[in-house]
Amino acid sequence: MTAIPDSAIDRGARALVLPTGILLAVLAGAWLAAVARAPLDSVQGVIQKILYVHPPLAFAAYAGFALTALGGAFFLWRGDEAWDHLARAAAEVGVLFCTLVVVTGPIWAKGTWGRWWSWDLRLTITLLLWFVYLAYLLLRSFTEGNERAARFAAVYGIAGLAVIPLNYFALDLAGGRSMHPENLQRSNLGAGMGWPFALGALVCLVAFAHLLARRIEVEALRSALAERVARAPRGLEHG
Amino acid sequence: MNTLLAILWKDLVSEWRSRDRVVAMALFSFLVVIVLHFALPDVDPVEVRRLAPGLLWVAYVFAALLGLNRAFALELENEALSALAMAPADRGFVFLGKAAANFVLLAVVQFATAVVFGLAFALDLVPVAVPLAGVVALGSLGICSVGTLFSAVAVRTRYREVMLPLLILPLLVPVLLGAVSATAALLQGESLPSASIQLLVVTDAVFLIVSFLGFDYVLDE
Repeated sequence: MTAIPDSAIDRGARALVLPTGILLAVLAGAWLAAVARAPLDSVQGVIQKILYVHPPLAFAAYAGFALTALGGAFFLWRGDEAWDHLARAAAEVGVLFCTLVVVTGPIWAKGTWGRWWSWDLRLTITLLLWFVYLAYLLLRSFTEGNERAARFAAVYGIAGLAVIPLNYFALDLAGGRSMHPENLQRSNLGAGMGWPFALGALVCLVAFAHLLARRIEVEALRSALAERVARAPRGLEHG
Repeated sequence: MNTLLAILWKDLVSEWRSRDRVVAMALFSFLVVIVLHFALPDVDPVEVRRLAPGLLWVAYVFAALLGLNRAFALELENEALSALAMAPADRGFVFLGKAAANFVLLAVVQFATAVVFGLAFALDLVPVAVPLAGVVALGSLGICSVGTLFSAVAVRTRYREVMLPLLILPLLVPVLLGAVSATAALLQGESLPSASIQLLVVTDAVFLIVSFLGFDYVLDE
């Protein structure tokens, strides 16, 4: 196991897998209990409980896309493969969370607005982001050569982040009929709803960190394996 | 600057000699216009004015995608792309040259498409021709900047023709929203909405900067 390239990011990710896993198991139990005990909303009824799931998922999704662009930028700047591990892992985990956001949102919307979808500012931006990062993952899998795929994806991830404020401006201009509830303020939450919401946000961020660390670990193992195969004596590649 | 002009000149001369890209783009966008016409049978003239901006830009985007997909196809042959990458020139200016060539080709196609579009939908575009050309130029600038950058990417992936639209369509939303709303105002006989023009100018600037800097990283060493 000598001289396999290892970096602070890969090592850090490996160290985080177990603690985040334990934390997640504990917090998830507490969160479920808190959500079950939280008072029912007097207007919306039980469907309001999606509040404890949907915005926390969105926080994790946005964190993923921000880390993808950040990892990509540092990869281009420093040329260290580990930054690409971070970018790729964050994109995959971010797409997972974003998919859950796009699925849970309409469930609530159908119950409250009476329809599944509205071309609201926030919904549209999230949908576009989802498309951008799905294209990001496709681009990675359709490009041959790790280093080239990493460069292509880094440039695209940065462009995808740069377009968010432009979309904000553009969709606002196009009417921006906003039906989506505003960002939460403490006063907006009913009594007994603050705790389960805070726990939900924490659970989603810990779950995000855990999956991210595991995904980076896989990526680090894969590149270590590639390195070993490249160094192996001829004929032993499959040995 | 010389790099930009040299690449632009090279692309325009080779296109002039073959004329295949412009002809294919123009034919394709005429067909899109005709398909759109049959998709909307019996619309009244008022409705047409309301729908036309969106339809026109659908035709423009499709034509642009077709052309951009071929933008680096010639460079792939004989390893010319590697030669471009190794050329002792700033890659940002290589990008600007390629983007400028795409812009010129697209402009030719857009002009011809506008004529066919006006005939097919019985719209008189002549009175608004000058401001409309300005709006189209601003829209094309955005399309050609990210389009050229990611055309250089897509051409070296599997399923390259599929990859380019998947990459750039989600990025082009601000360009299309700005261009369609400005075109709509012109067709309704209003003056140009400054918010749409601002959006187009800012988006073009951001896309040009990202593409100028990003192009350095998408060519192989």
